[in-house]
Amino acid sequence: MKIAVLVSFLAVLIIFFFVAQVPITLTPNEVAKAVSEATSESGVAVDEEVLEQAVQLSVAKLEKGQRTRLKYLASAYLIIWLVFILYVLYLERQQQELDKRLAQLEQASHNA
Amino acid sequence: MKIIASITALLIFISLYLIFGYARIEGTMLEVQKIFYYHVSAALTVFVAFGVNCVFSIKYLIQRKPNDDLLAVAAAELGIVFCTIALLSGPIWARYAWNTWWNWEARLTSTLVLWLMYIGYFILRSALEGDRRRLYSAVLGIIAYLDVPIVYYAVDIWHGGLHPDRGTKWSLEPTMRYTWMVALIALILLFTFLLIVRYRMKKAQARYEAIQQQYLTEASS
Repeated sequence: MKIAVLVSFLAVLIIFFFVAQVPITLTPNEVAKAVSEATSESGVAVDEEVLEQAVQLSVAKLEKGQRTRLKYLASAYLIIWLVFILYVLYLERQQQELDKRLAQLEQASHNA
Repeated sequence: MKIIASITALLIFISLYLIFGYARIEGTMLEVQKIFYYHVSAALTVFVAFGVNCVFSIKYLIQRKPNDDLLAVAAAELGIVFCTIALLSGPIWARYAWNTWWNWEARLTSTLVLWLMYIGYFILRSALEGDRRRLYSAVLGIIAYLDVPIVYYAVDIWHGGLHPDRGTKWSLEPTMRYTWMVALIALILLFTFLLIVRYRMKKAQARYEAIQQQYLTEASS
């Protein structure tokens, strides 16, 4: 049972790792390309440098927000699994104690 | 037993996939809302666990069978585990959603009181022995369960709390609702599986104590 809980805990971490890769991460090059495409498509004269800076700032802000949210999400699920793991470890200890006491009783009855 | 364990494990994996890969991201709280699936499911499993404790406490009081007491204790222990999960995962969500780790609003306070009452249940059990332990803890188990409807209806009784209305979870967007239902079934099955494991352990422990007592009596005479 302990193995099953540990495996599921690992599964949560793996799933979380993959989900955390999805975020809206954009490189400066991607931003520059998107800005130049948008300005050329719209045909309106804009200061590309200022626009690029504004977009990059917005993306950085969005990324920061998402990182914070993912931290909250990860913490919650880690705590949930930690409680389960601690409980299973507690059960395991109880079982070991009972096995030990049974073995002692068996030994005592043999000696008698 | 193996079938329950397999189905539980499978459902937990499916629920995790649904939470992280299928359910739509909610518009206001975005990814943080995904805490909801296990937080609310754990809270509802608490009601089931303490409900089992209450039923078997009543049964013990009527029939005085020690096995009913063992089942009631096992359920109470698991109720505390699930209640701890709800109480620990809630503040993380609250910190993001309400900008505070804790708030003394009706549902949070009544849930903490519920947790404390069942902690008291175990303190009482450790202080007593034999029939008195079973009898008093059965009575306390029934009294403590009276807090469950208070927790459930807290948002209706005391308006103005931070928790949303009871019906909110049923009006969720379909992908979110299905995901939550799978998570709820997974946790209830996990509770059932752990309850059987714990009950069997408690039974073995009780049998050991009876044999030991018998052995000591024989040895002394």
